[in-house]
Amino acid sequence: MTAINPDTGGQPAKREPWEDYTHQHHWRNGADEFDAAKLGMWLFLATEVLLFSGFFCAYFVFRMQFPENWHEASRYYLSWEIGFANTCVLLLSSFTVVLAIRAAQLGKKSHILFWLLITQLCAGFFLVVKLGWEYWPKIVKDELPGANFAYGERAAHVLEHAAANGIDQAVAMNEVARDHIFLSLYWVTTATHGVHVLVGMIVFAWCMYRAWRGHYGPKNYIMLENCGLYWHIVDIIWIFVFPLYYLV
Amino acid sequence: MSHHDVSYLAPKETGWKTIWSWIFTVDHKKIGVMYLAAVLLAFLLGGIFAIALRLELWEPVKTLADGTVTGQVLDLGAGATANNWYNRAFTLHGTVMVFLFIIPSIPASLGNIFLPIMLGAKDVAFPKLNLFSWYVYVFGGLFALYAILAGGVETGWTFYTPYSSTTEWGSVTAMVLGAFILGFSSIFTGMNFIATVHKLRTPGMGWFDMPLFVWALYATSIIQVLATPVLGITLLFIVFERMFQVGVFDPALGGDPVLFQHFFWFYSHPAVYIMILPGFGVISEMIAVHCQKKLFGYKAIAFSSIAIAAISFLVWGHHMFTSETPAANAIFSALTFLVAIPTAIKVFNWIATMYKASIAINTPMLYVMAFLFCFTIGGLTGPPLATLAVDIHLHDTYFVVAHFHYVMMGGTVLAFIGALHHWWPKIFGKMYNEFWGMMGCTLVFVGFNVTFFTQFFLGTQGMPRRYATYIEEFTSLHQISTIGSLILALGLFVHLGNFILSLVSGPKAPRNPWGGLTFEWEADAPPVEHNFPKEPVIVHGPYDYGTVTPPHTNPGEFPLNDERPSA
Amino acid sequence: MTMDMFQPQQASSMLVSNVWDDLWWRGTTGASTFADGIDTIFFFIFWVSLLFFIVLMGLMVLFAWAYRRRQGYGPESSASHNTTLEITWTVIPSILFLIMFLWGFKGYLPMQIAPSDSEVINVSAYQWGWEWTYDTGAQTQQFEVMADVPSPVFAVPVGRPVKLIMSSRDVIHSAYISQFRVKRDIFPNKYTTLWFQAEQTTHYFDEEAGEALPISPDNKGFHLACTEYCGDQHSQMWGRIAVMAEADYQAWKAKMGTFEGPLHELGKLLHTTKGCAACHSVDGSQKTGPTWQGVWMEPREFTNAPGESYADETEYRNYMRESILEPHKKILAGYPNQMQSYQGQLTDREMLGLLVYMKTLSSNPDDVSAAMAESAAEMEAREAGESESEGGEAAAEEMS
Ligand code: HEA
Ligand code: HEA
Ligand code: HEC
Ligand code: CUA
Ligand SMILES: [Cu+2]
Repeated sequence: MTAINPDTGGQPAKREPWEDYTHQHHWRNGADEFDAAKLGMWLFLATEVLLFSGFFCAYFVFRMQFPENWHEASRYYLSWEIGFANTCVLLLSSFTVVLAIRAAQLGKKSHILFWLLITQLCAGFFLVVKLGWEYWPKIVKDELPGANFAYGERAAHVLEHAAANGIDQAVAMNEVARDHIFLSLYWVTTATHGVHVLVGMIVFAWCMYRAWRGHYGPKNYIMLENCGLYWHIVDIIWIFVFPLYYLV
Repeated sequence: MSHHDVSYLAPKETGWKTIWSWIFTVDHKKIGVMYLAAVLLAFLLGGIFAIALRLELWEPVKTLADGTVTGQVLDLGAGATANNWYNRAFTLHGTVMVFLFIIPSIPASLGNIFLPIMLGAKDVAFPKLNLFSWYVYVFGGLFALYAILAGGVETGWTFYTPYSSTTEWGSVTAMVLGAFILGFSSIFTGMNFIATVHKLRTPGMGWFDMPLFVWALYATSIIQVLATPVLGITLLFIVFERMFQVGVFDPALGGDPVLFQHFFWFYSHPAVYIMILPGFGVISEMIAVHCQKKLFGYKAIAFSSIAIAAISFLVWGHHMFTSETPAANAIFSALTFLVAIPTAIKVFNWIATMYKASIAINTPMLYVMAFLFCFTIGGLTGPPLATLAVDIHLHDTYFVVAHFHYVMMGGTVLAFIGALHHWWPKIFGKMYNEFWGMMGCTLVFVGFNVTFFTQFFLGTQGMPRRYATYIEEFTSLHQISTIGSLILALGLFVHLGNFILSLVSGPKAPRNPWGGLTFEWEADAPPVEHNFPKEPVIVHGPYDYGTVTPPHTNPGEFPLNDERPSA
Repeated sequence: MTMDMFQPQQASSMLVSNVWDDLWWRGTTGASTFADGIDTIFFFIFWVSLLFFIVLMGLMVLFAWAYRRRQGYGPESSASHNTTLEITWTVIPSILFLIMFLWGFKGYLPMQIAPSDSEVINVSAYQWGWEWTYDTGAQTQQFEVMADVPSPVFAVPVGRPVKLIMSSRDVIHSAYISQFRVKRDIFPNKYTTLWFQAEQTTHYFDEEAGEALPISPDNKGFHLACTEYCGDQHSQMWGRIAVMAEADYQAWKAKMGTFEGPLHELGKLLHTTKGCAACHSVDGSQKTGPTWQGVWMEPREFTNAPGESYADETEYRNYMRESILEPHKKILAGYPNQMQSYQGQLTDREMLGLLVYMKTLSSNPDDVSAAMAESAAEMEAREAGESESEGGEAAAEEMS
């Protein structure tokens, strides 16, 4: 073939694998295969949403019982600024994934790689902030889930506040008695979400490799599109986590 | 010869290549056969635990005046008390039977083999995912096996907290992780089936041209995909509780143990319909074929499967009538009755199908009737449990144990064994011995009813479940039940022997021994690698018995409606 | 089949005949005010189900015979659906289900609200036993072997509502008195209640034995069982419910409220009443916890602390005290950390009683005689003290 590939600066292109892609043998046609892959992905995403909805149910059960405690704990343990920064990065990365898919549809290999790289950087930023600025300080201060939790500075803080406002110390401490449950839910939810981000990075690394080998183009971009869908869901879940934990 | 006209079972050139062609196969039939082997192994394992249970319950434990202890069968020492051995046995029995056996049983084996064929497709939508889910199943199974060997688990299959999150015995974490992994296998199979049904029907096959087994698998898959993640999160929580003491379900840490029960049953009630719907599906297939009769109320059966799937998500609270508040209980009780209605419709339709039919008496049909008998009993004992005042008495007694064995063993497992006979000639290309098949069925039927009907009386008389020993009043009923379980086991071993014999030396099966009309009977026995040499076309409905002569049968073997021998 | 024979009973409703009653309920219909109502609903469902079952199975067998396959004969043509028929068999079960639901709900509601004049008993469930504390503070001292272990006998008054306020000390349990048709789960983090009114007297209070005895040899009273799986001895959490006339009940309660025996006997009693027996044997046999036999003053190895050997008895007694009040502190090697703290549940005399009793189980005969002497000396001192403080408060002797 003598097609001119604009992506390679007008040079006659080497034939890329995607150009020869045909559907797998058990499909009647490529359109069916494409639809099925997307349907499958949506089903998988439904399971992801349901998985996280378990965490959210637990969250609401306890929040309904201890609304004050929840509010206090959120304000004390979590910084909305950090959460907000991470929200922005994730939103940005969702956008760059879309651009990568667009690039695949247009057959622009270098653009695919570029946008995926930005996505990776965003995801990496998210995880670094999470680990370095959220998890690590908490681990140091024993702000850990359940039985591993210790009040530490928090007790001093609460008692000081109680003294300043003339509240009985026991009453004040009782008001924060479910801190460890709040933190349990915070840890398990965000850690599970973090694992999903990590999986996303691994998947996108694979996508980058495949893109580099020329597997994605207008005839074959379903894998990229599905990974993008996955990434949007990870993003949307975070959009729920952020207000529920950081802004209550 | 190209792979288009070679049986999928045909060995490759060398032994290694043959083995290779199995362990890396993406052929849905081979994967189905591998699943079949795996789930039958799990059934055997669960059954061994069951027989151990029944033997221990032969007599209550008694310390005589001279200090000797009688009635203890399962006391194998090893740092565990005699009760502990029993508690492990019923936990492992329940866990293995539910997670390793019955949930994958029909869908992953028979479903895998026949769903694509019945749709006229070459394979499922995602063949690699299909193989992957088998390996995930095996991997999860290995976790469970490790847990069993490393001390076992004694929490009950329901893993209620705080007991499960605090007990120091055995390897609860490994078992829970095993069940978590098995859940993924189940989700992948479900996704695969849904996509297959949507996208791989042969051209011209509308939704209402699908066999009812396909409908049932479709409804099952929806539940699998939507309910299993919640089980996943529940099990993860237990792992977190045990590893990091997160305390969400542990009252000692301010958590809520009843919340766990809600989470658990939100999955596990829909799961009971994951177990039974495929059973309903194969019964619909078998009854139509062996009665040579169009199914009565095809649409009602198809829609009732979907209705059951939908309502099943709303009734989980009926397992918690003794732990929840009256308001919640009232709602769940009412909704539970709602889910019984579509089931009732199916039973009526099946029986109506037999009207004016031409009923063959063979092993599959005997199993259909055994199923109708036992499942109806199991189903009919659901309403007393759903009735609030009555369940307060019956909850966690042997009445419940009898109820769920009647629906699971008497329903799903009987349907499964019947369907194995029904499709055996197609899967392996060999006939089984009809006499021993019917013998086995009789033994299973008698043994099963003796074992479990007795337990209804035990239950109403107040025998609680999960009891390693009991007060003497219950001895005679327990002994009857134990005798029944031995007859039942004997029957199952007769089947096992019959199947092995068929594989070794069974006569070659004809393509369509029962006169079936669905696509699998068009295929060779056993089918070729891509199921059909040529894509089949749909020329009649799946159940047009009596108006269409079944393919590949001898003339006159399956006469049409109102045909009589010309005298 | 052995059937407990009870006093002649009226079949509570025309739905229940005596044969069915024996088979399904072992003849215990009518043991509480709830029983008849619940049994009637059960039998309503039973008869409806039986009717459907017989019709359906009858048709199945009939069809299987009448339409069995004959060579050369095809099926007869018939409709493959029939809207009227299908609507009928949807609507009729629906109506029946509605009746079941409403009736069941109606029967269930009164079980939720105990009358305000109920006799209140506090129930504490633990791994693996029951502790019932009556309004006078009395706790049972009467035991009977059920399921191979000494199980407590609890008296309740006849013809009067009884309300149990229940909580658990460890995991979830569930109180089930099958003949009363009542059941309720017991949680460690909240109180749940259960109430009933017993209708049949089964026991009387025997002054001489100081115990409740069955009225007739055939009716030994009712069963209390745990119906939520709670670990190793879940199946041995049985108890006996003895229903007595009001006067007998009061006499029994009064008797159970006092303990006059010497220290080592008190210890022996507590070993069963406080549930130590579930985990600790006194004959050297293996249970969840270590035996108490022959271990007095022996050195100990721990999993979470350095080993100890005891030079003098005070040191040893302190370790014993600590093991009972703070069992998690030092875990004996080879045993799980499963014992709950008994902090606040034992009076000083009870604690002393346990220690003296344990001492009598020593393998050293000198210890045994020393323990008996200690016990006798305390008895003497107490009797002397009592006659001093004229009409003295028996309160000191009352079990908490
Ligand atoms: C295959 C699995 C399966 C199936 C299909 C069912 C079907 C039903 N189950 Fe069952 N159930 C279990 C498996 C299953 N169950 C298990 C495993 C447990 C115990 C778990 C554990 O604790 O370990 C359980 C426990 C269980 C409980 C909790 C009991 C307790 O612990 O206290 C309840 C309560 O409502 C219940 C109700 C029902 C009902 C109403 C149906 C209905 O769907 C049945 C509907 C069918 C019919 C009714 C028969 C046919 C109808 C007719 C012939 C029409 C005419 C009939 C009438 C008018 C009455 N089940
Ligand atoms: C699919 C589900 C399933 C099946 C099939 C069975 C089958 C059996 N069950 Fe099970 N059972 C459960 C699910 C199941 N059970 C569950 C969920 C519980 C609750 C656990 C808990 O409380 O936590 C339970 C609890 C339970 C109890 C109550 C324990 C207690 O509460 O203390 C008892 C007691 O009798 C029992 C007995 C039996 C018996 C005798 C069989 C027999 O039917 C078994 C017969 C099988 C064999 C003997 C194996 C033979 C197999 C082969 C030879 C393989 C090859 C076969 C072919 C090719 C056909 N079971
Ligand atoms: C749930 C079971 C259980 C119950 C009930 C129980 N214990 Fe224990 N007990 C244990 C176990 C297990 C150990 C060993 C582990 C440890 O040291 O905590 C133990 C240890 C002890 C020890 C230390 C034993 C030694 O030899 O060093 C004493 C003393 C003791 N228990 C007394 C009691 C008394 C008194 C009661 C009742 C009032 C009681 N226990 C009830 C399980 C139990
Ligand atoms: Cu306590 Cu079971
Ligand atoms: Cu259910």
